Amino acid sequence: MKIPPVEPGTVGPCPVAPDALQGIKRQQTNPARWNGAGWQDFVAELRASGVELAEGAAACGVYATDAGGTAYGQPHGVVLARSAGQVSLLLKAAQAHRVPVTVRGGGLTTEGESVAFGGVLLDMSGMSRVLGVDAAALTVRTEAGIYWHALAEELRRENLDYLSAPLNLTSSVGGTLGVGGIDVNSARLGCSADQAISLQVVTPTGEIVECSDSENAELFQRVIFGYGQFGVITEATLRVRPYTPLAMHYYYYSSLRTAIEDLQMLDRNDASDYSGILTIMDCAVNLLVAFDSDEREAAFRKNWESRLRGHGEFGFALCMAGHYALRPWKLGEALYLLQRKQAVFPEFRRPEYMRDGKMHDRTVVFSRAVWKHWGSRQMVIPDLATSADKFIEAVERGNAICRQYFTHYTLYCVGIKLRPEHKPHYEMSCVPPDAEGWAYGCEFEPMIEGGIYSRDHFQAFKNAIYDVGLDLGASYYRFGGMMKGYIRRVFGDALVDRHLAMKRRADPALILNRDVIF
Amino acid sequence: MPATLARAPAAPRDYAACSGCNLCQLVCPMWRSHRDPRFTPAGMAKALQYGATAAWLAAPVEACSLCGACDPVCPEGIDLPGLVMDLRLQLANSLPSPNPALLDDLRARLQQGAAAPVVSRSAPLLLPGADLRADAALLARVQALLGLAIADDDGADIALALELGVEIPQHRLQQFLASLNGHSIVAADGLLLRQLRRWLPGSQRMGLGAALSSRPAVRSNLLATDLYVIEARGYHADYERMVAYYDRLQLETGCALNLDLQRIAIPAVAQGLSQKLEVAPGDDGAQAKWILKGRRPARIVVESMADCAAFERVCDLPVVHLAELGEDPEMIKRRPHAFG
Repeated sequence: MKIPPVEPGTVGPCPVAPDALQGIKRQQTNPARWNGAGWQDFVAELRASGVELAEGAAACGVYATDAGGTAYGQPHGVVLARSAGQVSLLLKAAQAHRVPVTVRGGGLTTEGESVAFGGVLLDMSGMSRVLGVDAAALTVRTEAGIYWHALAEELRRENLDYLSAPLNLTSSVGGTLGVGGIDVNSARLGCSADQAISLQVVTPTGEIVECSDSENAELFQRVIFGYGQFGVITEATLRVRPYTPLAMHYYYYSSLRTAIEDLQMLDRNDASDYSGILTIMDCAVNLLVAFDSDEREAAFRKNWESRLRGHGEFGFALCMAGHYALRPWKLGEALYLLQRKQAVFPEFRRPEYMRDGKMHDRTVVFSRAVWKHWGSRQMVIPDLATSADKFIEAVERGNAICRQYFTHYTLYCVGIKLRPEHKPHYEMSCVPPDAEGWAYGCEFEPMIEGGIYSRDHFQAFKNAIYDVGLDLGASYYRFGGMMKGYIRRVFGDALVDRHLAMKRRADPALILNRDVIF
Repeated sequence: MPATLARAPAAPRDYAACSGCNLCQLVCPMWRSHRDPRFTPAGMAKALQYGATAAWLAAPVEACSLCGACDPVCPEGIDLPGLVMDLRLQLANSLPSPNPALLDDLRARLQQGAAAPVVSRSAPLLLPGADLRADAALLARVQALLGLAIADDDGADIALALELGVEIPQHRLQQFLASLNGHSIVAADGLLLRQLRRWLPGSQRMGLGAALSSRPAVRSNLLATDLYVIEARGYHADYERMVAYYDRLQLETGCALNLDLQRIAIPAVAQGLSQKLEVAPGDDGAQAKWILKGRRPARIVVESMADCAAFERVCDLPVVHLAELGEDPEMIKRRPHAFG
């Protein structure tokens, strides 16, 4: 294959065109490292304008990988965001010198999207202050590098809470708004990005712009779910709500299909405030249902609980005992389930988070459990996002692939209420184009458990899952970075080329997050 | 079977195990003050993973207050305060100190301490630490409330050496531990308490705050309108037990606690090495202000003498030491700040 010459500091012909993978072994690779042309002149200009840039292992080593832990790269230098004005100066200089800029919030990407392969790493966590809470209007204005948990800490002092955020303490607001974000209340409240009212954005050419559905609406539409292509979110105004503890209910299933049918039934009927599925492989499927108020919980008990086909914990234990008593060759699996139950369940019932039978600070409870029992230095979490009617097939086919590739794994499924007025935001995003009313997402998370797997093995697993998505016309939450080979295949050339043309207009030197999507 | 190449060894407990989850950043006072990932335990661990040396990390290593908040939140179980103390030791051995006289004095005290005879006692021991020893009246009150003998050697020099990264002579450490061996211990210094947990794993140990607040005379005077400020180092040194203990305290008394949403104690004072070496201005009050943000307590009750001063600097609320809750009116007169 002849590789065409590329002007230093520019992006060459698209290496992931529809036919680019033909005949090429599907192997996970980092993007090419930027060659550093003009770096010193760029640094001199930046420093002359008062922007601090750090170089060296102590500064750059922090950013060598992301939460996925499979992509590795280091920037030439790091800028810690301090103000929109400083970000503007950085982007103007980067445009002039054609220096790539990779933006990082919490670094919780899994495909290297927030890893810099040369150039500048712009760390937004330096802009992480809450600027103002309007308790009467139920809104908050915050710098976008703040982690959702840090925002929750501030809001709680006013007895408020955010609407929806990933079940992860260290996702940043800006990063989440850029990709969507899901929570166990997304079936009712939509994506985390849907709670954004307005944003302050620094465009790739350095203009500082306020945008919303009514002001600079086109920029707002492109930046939300925009995977960082059309600007750096520096501030956000978000909807908030009064804080409430949760009344939690757990129902256990041995069938993924039945559990998903029940989940979708609850979502269609607005029967709960929170709903989601978390599994131990496909053996123990937990449908989580929760409520903000006693009234909603009572209505659920009266109208919907009897329709659920899941068991309580004791009933399910009896079923499992019977199941494995008849299948003694599956003793290992039974022991694993038991061990997992003993390790994980107490995390969700820690007394300091329970008051009067209700769970406080659910994000802390879930996130700490997630990191403790699912986290590791490598996290591979391919996902499928489909319309409601295709979801069961997607999960069942993905589950079969998990069984083929890993001994143990977890599935996490939630619904996402779609807002028709936000349809322009959803274009070329994790929301599948054919979804109406709700989209559904499933994350397929192998348990690494100290095992060492080759990158090829991980990549083959991800390809197998994503191929299911291609077959079903699904979308993905993590289609950026090392998985961008799927973007054209999922969305088609016409749509991707239209977005690429918009990107070229907004970012002439293609410097901003250039290894993520295009 | 697919490509499992090998099973990794049991999870290590040093910086190499850091996955970069950044949970430590959420609770780190150093991060709160700098808003720079290099000034976090994860930042240090990641930099070490990619080749940084102790000297390159001097700024965050010196800025860390060793509050220990990062320790219980680390899902990998990495000994993060231990990592910082190790790096401080390396720094002290490789870079000149900004206050060599203080370090020389400490080294001399460690040597002198090692030469002193071991006094054996049979009763449970109170290790008051330097701050409490400096307030004889309060120390007497603490002793009366707890009914403990004060240790002749309370390891204040060892606690300071841990803090400053000064090597503790082996014979000094052995002598100190020998004097404690077999005793129940109440220690006011949270950093020393943390290390005693490692050095004397079989012993019964408790922080001063937990010991005092478990006394009925003190506990019964805690009010629902109080803000009770837990001493962070001692709390994090025995987190699993303390989180349950203070949860019960809060349920019983209704007082507010300086805990964040992760049930981590927000330290009221965050002093790095420069402050301890007396070469930089003291605490700026930012932590105490953050604890008070959005809270309207009628009174602040502290476990630590240093926290007392921190709150008095940033607010007009009455600030009392826990031991003062059970004290007689005469003593309150002698400490007029106690009830404002």
